Amino acid sequence: MYRLVAILMVLLVGNVFAHGHADHSNLGEEASSIKASGKIFHTDGLDVIRKMHPEFLNHKRDKTLREGVRTEESSLKGCVNCHATKDKKTNQYHPVSDKDQFCSTCHQKVSVSVDCFSCHRTTPRKGTK
Amino acid sequence: MSKTLNRRDFIKTSSATTVGVATIASGITLTSFAANANENPVTNEKRWGMLVDTNKLTEVEIDGMVSACQQENGWGNEVHSTGDQKPTWVKKLKVQDKATGKITSLPLMCQHCEEPPCVDVCPTNASMKREDGIVLVDKHLCIGCRYCMMACPYDARSFVHEDLTDQREHMPRGKGTVESCTLCVHKVDNGESPACVASVNSDAVIFGDLYDPKSNINQTLKKVQSAQIRADLDLNTGVRYSGI
Repeated sequence: MYRLVAILMVLLVGNVFAHGHADHSNLGEEASSIKASGKIFHTDGLDVIRKMHPEFLNHKRDKTLREGVRTEESSLKGCVNCHATKDKKTNQYHPVSDKDQFCSTCHQKVSVSVDCFSCHRTTPRKGTK
Repeated sequence: MSKTLNRRDFIKTSSATTVGVATIASGITLTSFAANANENPVTNEKRWGMLVDTNKLTEVEIDGMVSACQQENGWGNEVHSTGDQKPTWVKKLKVQDKATGKITSLPLMCQHCEEPPCVDVCPTNASMKREDGIVLVDKHLCIGCRYCMMACPYDARSFVHEDLTDQREHMPRGKGTVESCTLCVHKVDNGESPACVASVNSDAVIFGDLYDPKSNINQTLKKVQSAQIRADLDLNTGVRYSGI
């Protein structure tokens, strides 16, 4: 019994660490500066966006493609623009779908492939920061 | 300068200010309204269309339209695709009158039919027509079966045969899906004209709302002789040609 509890505890603690990356090195350029400024972008809470982002994106994609609603809310462009990290040496953006980048860190962990980026652009638009 | 403000002067000054403020304020209201226009779903009160005048349009301008489309939507740089595999959203077509031998060049792209055969045959509803008449491929649902390519009488669609990177931000494209002219839907939704139309400096190509009696395209179509390609199919295309 104690052994089970111990295993459970280890798993729980492991998850906490997985979410609470100490350095947030792959959070992305713009997202990091928003975080540093103390502003909150995802006002519904991080747990909501972590859990629900596929639904948000699926809903938005249909609104945009089929109905022509082009707002910034739940826009995949927005995710990429904020969460792409720059390589410090080359000053080029890493694709968000690359190993250990913002999207793939969690997706690797839970073994869920990200299909967005077989078509969508993985770095912020040329000419933006 | 020590002028005392009498009653008459006060009324003059204040009414001028009011008019000024009203003018500026109405400008602000109009601008903010336009900025919010694409928050609402598109409706069938509009039908986007294009009129190409082949008598006015030169071959150089047609080439310019093709490269403007490539530039805007990021196609044409596929390295592994060969020959017919290469995507072509818009192409220059030459038609010859058998009797006189007169050659006419025209740009051919998705004709944005009112009754699109590509939508009829699509097994997954990926091929779709928006309420405002723009025919698109929903690549989220496209399984790459290419039935739509076979159904299209205009050979307007292409299939992406290779992995792509560095796509345009507004135009996701990927291997295994079908694609075609979107009438630059991302620009149209922001109140702009498609890239190919903007690349032509004359009025040889007009873009606009076919239903709006005040629009240039509606008025021109009422005046000039125009044709739909393969009008016999009764598809009621959104792209019309005059001079053929």
